[in-house]
Amino acid sequence: MKKASELKYGEKVKISEIDFSHPSSQRIIEIGFTPGQEIELINRSLFNDPLAFSVRGSLIAMRKDEADCIKVT
Amino acid sequence: MNLQTIEKVPLVTLVGPLNSGKTTLFNYLSGKSFKTVNYPGATVEYSISRLLNKFNISANIIDSPGIVSLSANSPDEKISIDALFNHPLYGQPDLLVVTVDSSQLSRHLLLVKQLKSCGFKLIIALTMNDLLIKKKFAISLSKLRIILGCEVVQVDGRTGEGINNLLNTISDQLDKIKLPDGKSEIIQLINNDRHSLLNFYKEIEKIENDVIYEIHSNGNGFDLNAANAQLNVLNPSYEIKTKYTLDSTSLKIDKFLLHPTLGGVFFFLIMAATFTSIFWLADPLMGMVDVFFAFLSSETAALLGSNWFSDFVSSGIISGTGSVLVFLPQILILFLILGLLEDSGYLARGAMIVDKPLSKIGLNGRSFVPMLSGFACAIPAMLAARTIPNRRERILTIFILPLMSCSARLPVYALLIAFLIPSGKSWLGGIILAAIYIFSVTSSIIIASILNKFKHRIIKEEDNSSFIIELPAYRKPKLSFVLTNSYMNAKVYLQKAGPVILAFSIILWFLTYFPNTNPEIDTTGLSEDEIVQVQEVERLSTSYASDLGKLIQPVMTPIGMDWRVGVSLIAAFAAREVFVSSLALIFKVTDNEETFQASMIQSMRQAEIKDTGQKLFTTATITGLIIFFVFALQCLSTVAVSKKETGGWRIPVMQVIIFTSVAYLLTFITVNGLRAVGVN
Ligand SMILES: Nc1nc2c(ncn2[C@@H]2O[C@H](COP(=O)(O)OP(=O)(O)OP(=O)(O)O)[C@@H](O)[C@H]2O)c(=O)[nH]1
Ligand SMILES: [Mg+2]
Repeated sequence: MKKASELKYGEKVKISEIDFSHPSSQRIIEIGFTPGQEIELINRSLFNDPLAFSVRGSLIAMRKDEADCIKVT
Repeated sequence: MNLQTIEKVPLVTLVGPLNSGKTTLFNYLSGKSFKTVNYPGATVEYSISRLLNKFNISANIIDSPGIVSLSANSPDEKISIDALFNHPLYGQPDLLVVTVDSSQLSRHLLLVKQLKSCGFKLIIALTMNDLLIKKKFAISLSKLRIILGCEVVQVDGRTGEGINNLLNTISDQLDKIKLPDGKSEIIQLINNDRHSLLNFYKEIEKIENDVIYEIHSNGNGFDLNAANAQLNVLNPSYEIKTKYTLDSTSLKIDKFLLHPTLGGVFFFLIMAATFTSIFWLADPLMGMVDVFFAFLSSETAALLGSNWFSDFVSSGIISGTGSVLVFLPQILILFLILGLLEDSGYLARGAMIVDKPLSKIGLNGRSFVPMLSGFACAIPAMLAARTIPNRRERILTIFILPLMSCSARLPVYALLIAFLIPSGKSWLGGIILAAIYIFSVTSSIIIASILNKFKHRIIKEEDNSSFIIELPAYRKPKLSFVLTNSYMNAKVYLQKAGPVILAFSIILWFLTYFPNTNPEIDTTGLSEDEIVQVQEVERLSTSYASDLGKLIQPVMTPIGMDWRVGVSLIAAFAAREVFVSSLALIFKVTDNEETFQASMIQSMRQAEIKDTGQKLFTTATITGLIIFFVFALQCLSTVAVSKKETGGWRIPVMQVIIFTSVAYLLTFITVNGLRAVGVN
């Protein structure tokens, strides 16, 4: 399964599941990344990390390794 | 405010997600001017105030730090969430006003749901409606009210729009609470396992679909009814897609500012522009203040004649405080520029850009905002570090914050820079100042990375390191807002530093003037001007200050300076600016030059070290002094706050020892190194 950290610019995908084993997964869900939501990679920072995704009409930045726990289809 | 009055009146707490407009609303309701910033996590402490009298509701209102949800992610988050249920000083709130950003309804309703399930009485204040309208959507208040089962009002805390509505609702709700069965039980029980979170979100998505509708512009405003009618025929899946659009202007700006490579260049340019413009923009303003004080000082001296009282007023009070106040424009401009930056929405982007490099040295992207506010003052900066969830990263950030060039150092640098640059080349000043800022940041990074090597000894426990942040839409800073804020900041600065500077000017005047007030000198062959000067030199070298100074002389000799600088450096422990007023007192301002600063620099240039006849202030010693001020931890309040925020004496003691010894050592190396290569 693909991870959100592997997305290309402008690629719109749906979240299929969140990897609960990651310590940041709780916060990631709370902030709006839930299965079924559409996300898009909007920005990459210097050195390609952190990444900024659009979710629920907001722009959220997170580290690449945190974006790893968002599985997408 | 004493606790008794707090207990008697009802307590209304403002709660809400980060950056949802709580503090803006709080300021409007309380008449206070706490900091509002377009950055998630601006408020880190609870504050309480009475509702303004004009609103005719007797209640206390509390502003709280923004939270994502009721389950804490860090010890500091836990403290603020617990305080929501039962604040150690203010107790349990009677009513919550939950701010919800209309343009982020779905994400922000999560907290509402959680708060409701805990049994809080609450009113929802929908903020940022202008942003939702910009996206061409609107929220049906009546539907939301029914679905959530609580009052919903729209407000804009910046303009006061909808405030009356909110106040009426607050007043109604408070009346209801007074009824016998009005109070409900509040339980701090949160279903925070992930599955119930997902369920909450499922419900929220349904709510959202019911209450958000598209608006169509018909030329003269928006026709809500037509939009409502159309809503029923709209395909829901089409709706979801358009509802979740990002702000298009922000997207365009971010194409550049968050570009994977250019983003770094823009970041550097923005920071450099910030720091150079402090000097450049302030220069003309400074000239005006300067001429004013020079005039005041010489007029008083002329008016009062030549006696100790005249000297007390013109040197002790006017020169002493004036020498620092001359730099007030710089401080004002600094606050202004930081304010513009804060209001624009760039800070969160800045944090994102530096996260990767900072995490390499044990810091976090979230360290960026504390570091930046450290350029104003280390104390609020240390509080701002609470937004860093990881304890080790937070302590390390606090550790290096005293190295950020705070506004108290600006007068010192400005004076020393003015000494360094040849007249007529004031553009160089801005560049040197920016260089000092860059140097202090680089040093802090080096020190952080060295400390990071010993991180396991500094903080034992391991913790998840995380950086998740919302990037708010860019906003055109409201100039009136930023101007008032800078004015308030400068006022607070004056109120805090002013008395200290005045008190120390008086003490130092006393120490430098007595006991030998009328020294006997050989006046043969001297002009009147020269007599005054020789008298002053003699008076100073036999003064109490000089007696004290003799004690420090051994420490000052290795760094090429004498006791006069030493006394000023010690006085600077009261407040760094006192260094400037102290120099102004010791190296008397003369009336020969037209501005205050020019005259001070003139007499500094002439000063010689007594035993060797060497010039006291040279490029080498002035550079050395700059280096000293970059590193030395001379602020007692910073030490106190560092102790409070790190929970012990260990960190602040380490800070004092490390920074002060590094300061002295590097000054020694700089002065002697420069001399060795022929720069005097
Ligand atoms: N466009 C718009 N901006 C607003 C409105 N209300 C507040 N703001 C701005 O939104 C930003 C955040 O406001 P704050 O009041 O600091 O938000 P807060 O909820 O206290 O934020 P934290 O303390 O970080 O949790 C500031 O830049 C405000 O000027 C509004 O109704 N519309
Ligand atoms: Mg706030």
